[in-house]
Amino acid sequence: MINFLEQTVNGLVNGGFYALLALGLAVIFGMLRVVNFAHGAFYMLGAFGAYVGLREFGLPFWVALVLVPVVLAGLGMALERTAINRLARLDPLYNFLFTFGLTLILQDLVKWRYGVNANPYEIPAGLTGTVHIGQFGFPAYRLFVFGFAVAACLLAWWLLARTRVGMVVRAATERPELTGALGIDVGRWITPVFGFGIALAALAGVLAAPIQAVNPLMGADLIIVVFAVVVIGGLGSVTGSVATGFGIGVAGAWAQAYAPPIVAQTLVFAVMAVVLLVRPAGLFGREEGVA
Amino acid sequence: MRVRRVLSGTVAAGTVLTLLAACGGGGPRGGGGSSLSGGKIVLGVLNDQSGVYSGLGGKNSVVAVQMAIDDFLAKHGDKAVTRDISVVTADHQNKPDLAKTDAQQMYDRQDVDAILDVPTSSAALAVADVAKQDKKLYFNIGAASDDLNGKSCNKYTFHYAYDTNMLANVTGKTATKNGAKSWYLIYPNYAFGQDMLRGFTSAIGAAGGAVVASAGSPFPNPTQDYSTLLLKTSGLSPKPDTLGVMQAGGDLQNVVKQYNQFKLKDQGVKLAVGLMFITDIHALGPDALAGTTFTDAWYWNANQDNRAFADKFYAKTKTRPTFDHAADYSAALQYLEAVQAAGTDDSDKVVAKLEGKTVNDVFLHNGTIRAADHLVTHDAYLAQVKPSSQVTEPWDYEKILETIPADQAFNPPSSDCHM
Amino acid sequence: MRWLRWGGLAVGLVVAWALPRVLYPPVALDILCWALFAVSVDLLLGYLGLLSFGHAAFWGTSAYTAGLLAARAGAPFPLAALAGALAAALLALPIGYLAVRRTGIYFAMVTLAFAQMVYFVANQWRSLTGGENGVQDVPRELFGMDLSDPYYFYYWMLPLVLLGLFAAWRVVHSPFGRVLVAIRDNPVRARALGYPVHRYKILAFVLSAFLAGLGGGLFALSHQFVTLDDLHWTTSGQAVVVVVMGGIGTLWGGVLAAALVVRLEDVLSLAHFEQVGLITGGIFVVVVLLFRQGIWGTAAAASRRLAARIARRRPG
Repeated sequence: MINFLEQTVNGLVNGGFYALLALGLAVIFGMLRVVNFAHGAFYMLGAFGAYVGLREFGLPFWVALVLVPVVLAGLGMALERTAINRLARLDPLYNFLFTFGLTLILQDLVKWRYGVNANPYEIPAGLTGTVHIGQFGFPAYRLFVFGFAVAACLLAWWLLARTRVGMVVRAATERPELTGALGIDVGRWITPVFGFGIALAALAGVLAAPIQAVNPLMGADLIIVVFAVVVIGGLGSVTGSVATGFGIGVAGAWAQAYAPPIVAQTLVFAVMAVVLLVRPAGLFGREEGVA
Repeated sequence: MRVRRVLSGTVAAGTVLTLLAACGGGGPRGGGGSSLSGGKIVLGVLNDQSGVYSGLGGKNSVVAVQMAIDDFLAKHGDKAVTRDISVVTADHQNKPDLAKTDAQQMYDRQDVDAILDVPTSSAALAVADVAKQDKKLYFNIGAASDDLNGKSCNKYTFHYAYDTNMLANVTGKTATKNGAKSWYLIYPNYAFGQDMLRGFTSAIGAAGGAVVASAGSPFPNPTQDYSTLLLKTSGLSPKPDTLGVMQAGGDLQNVVKQYNQFKLKDQGVKLAVGLMFITDIHALGPDALAGTTFTDAWYWNANQDNRAFADKFYAKTKTRPTFDHAADYSAALQYLEAVQAAGTDDSDKVVAKLEGKTVNDVFLHNGTIRAADHLVTHDAYLAQVKPSSQVTEPWDYEKILETIPADQAFNPPSSDCHM
Repeated sequence: MRWLRWGGLAVGLVVAWALPRVLYPPVALDILCWALFAVSVDLLLGYLGLLSFGHAAFWGTSAYTAGLLAARAGAPFPLAALAGALAAALLALPIGYLAVRRTGIYFAMVTLAFAQMVYFVANQWRSLTGGENGVQDVPRELFGMDLSDPYYFYYWMLPLVLLGLFAAWRVVHSPFGRVLVAIRDNPVRARALGYPVHRYKILAFVLSAFLAGLGGGLFALSHQFVTLDDLHWTTSGQAVVVVVMGGIGTLWGGVLAAALVVRLEDVLSLAHFEQVGLITGGIFVVVVLLFRQGIWGTAAAASRRLAARIARRRPG
């Protein structure tokens, strides 16, 4: 029983990463109608940011946690202003392609400089211990990651539901032309929201650095799983993406623990297939991009 | 608009240039088989120079081979069969496709007589195929798959440094004899990992231990997360006393990190690693792995001879050699000596000189180049990682616990091998 | 303009004939296979407006099928390749059926995800696919002839490839092809006109998979082995890169860009430059930002401008 609990909590930790990434993707998509293939690359850059920050500048984890997302958000916003904006008027496919090309470039640049090997990054002091509740023991850092991911998602929810920006984003997501027609300047929020989405990816990266391999390809396969997550959850739905992220994390952990390996690897895709059959718009999504 | 015109022009020019660049190498393949091709010998180092195994061999393998060439020429002086001996190299990026193409190019376009290194089992097997077709020599050093001396063996391929059975026999059997009785094996769920699982399970059983459970991790593993597998440990009954890890390279580094995070050592679960390179210890830092036992084919600081080689290597590369480098050196030297003895680089004659030879050099102790399956057997070592407090100089990470004689380390020739 | 078309065809055939004489033959073989692959992706993207980001599933499935048939059953290579293409087409039925329920980016993500699933299944099904080792020792059989020299094999393979390219061209320049374009431009209208849109999409998807499969099967036979890389999403991605670089919807742009990219990789590997993605990614990004018509499109536009300028200068 304890073991089951540990596996479940572990699944929630993994799910936290999926949720953070899916959330960033969903927010960017909601506002810009761009599916950011480079999301995985920014996650990777976040982790490398923490690593390089420590190695070259001696930045401790807590500083990196704040600084790296801000810096990468800045980079993201610059990209949005220069390139993504130009392609925004065209078929969204072009921005998807652009971000794909960007991924190739970013990955190879990092590979050039740092090689493909994993780079070590230590768990920050203070979180290296284990939390014990009765017989249940779990690494403190992982619990922290889970908590942080939940907090970030709650913050995003609060921003969307209770602030003016959030209102604008939601309105722009559901009724872009009408929102513009009402005189609301949607445009000025596009770049900051993109930056926010990138910051979430980078944040996930920094959080991942101590527990996953910091290498140039760490975002590559992950992003495909996240795509499946948002297709299941419904790309236009923030709640859906987050809920599905956590859900897939837990389901994956159970599958890995109690089922043959093939199940764990293909679970998310099989679920996606079922959702496409039964509810093409996604579990929480609206009728968007349905043929 | 102007800018666009200029850019279009540049793109067009670039396109044409690329298509025409270094044109050549066209036409049908020349006849196979060679005399001392052009009065020269060309050695080819094909390995991973940018990826997971770039630290194991990488560009420094070329240095090792060059050292062998220099030593060979110094030893034979003017009596050497030729003084024109060179090395070429290519990066296969751990991709079998690329490895095959590179090997073909080396043999066809660059007149390479022998290819060395080639880590990553899938790439290694692909090159074995090319060697067989082109009838040119191939010394595999970097890859583990026992298929190289099993069902994919052929006359021109030599499996030089280690194979999956050796790893199982040394780590599995020895660790079990030394107290590891119940094992939980985790492995990457692809050919290499499954081979290791098979080898270790039988080696452990033969030594009187038992495998309580085994579990595969996805390969490739996008999240690099082994927590689920590791958490299973406490739920198993009987509780295993040893965790056997078959993951390699970057995967291994993450398993170890997480093993430490989950404090499994404190729970009484020791760590045994199927395949570890000194570069992994260097990447993780010795404390992450302190106490872990593993199999090493060669260690630079094990004795004075090894150290002498390592010092020469250090002078050129500023790093210590891995077993791969030492084996590259040894294989290159053995090849050159065989050519010298045969008086020609004709593949069949050189192979005849190599088969059955016993060798004792800086890498091979009690080495034999078996004729039956072209596996090179030699003494292997059970090593243990030192904690950083005992590390006296950079790369001084290993303590050699035991030397395993060649006939115990390696399995007899497999019945799958038909030369 | 008729003469232009025939002229272009003549030039293409001459180049195809000359290729293994000027290039290292294995590179020429790769160019042929990738040309088919690019054309198959362009068929969907350029004419139906659907970006398939998982076409490696078909390329790879066919490669394994062809490879296994040749290795285990000694099938002659044209049969093996066609059987592989058929297997790819069969796989495209369920995937296509599910994928066409979404459009645009969703379609891309769904195809990507399914291709990843195929990759993992192939990885696990080690008894069939050999897992990471792949299928080695794929022979090239044709009534006992010796096809081991890639130079001669090229000429044996060429007719099949030309047939595939011709088939693609035929599909595009046919009523079926026109319906596809109509569906791309205005699906609601197409449906209102009575066309079963979903069925057309699935059929096009299957045809495209067949072509990609033909390329993949021949690739397996020309390399004489099959690996998981043939199913990897980076292979799918490369096909998309090639099509966009060549020019979406131009078909022949894809062929040209395939030659370019294959050659580029060869040149870079000879020069020991490992960061190929940097170069291809860089060119790709420039094309997406500035030259969306691709190489072929830009060249065609430039020659049109030139022709117009000449026409203006002519008196009368």
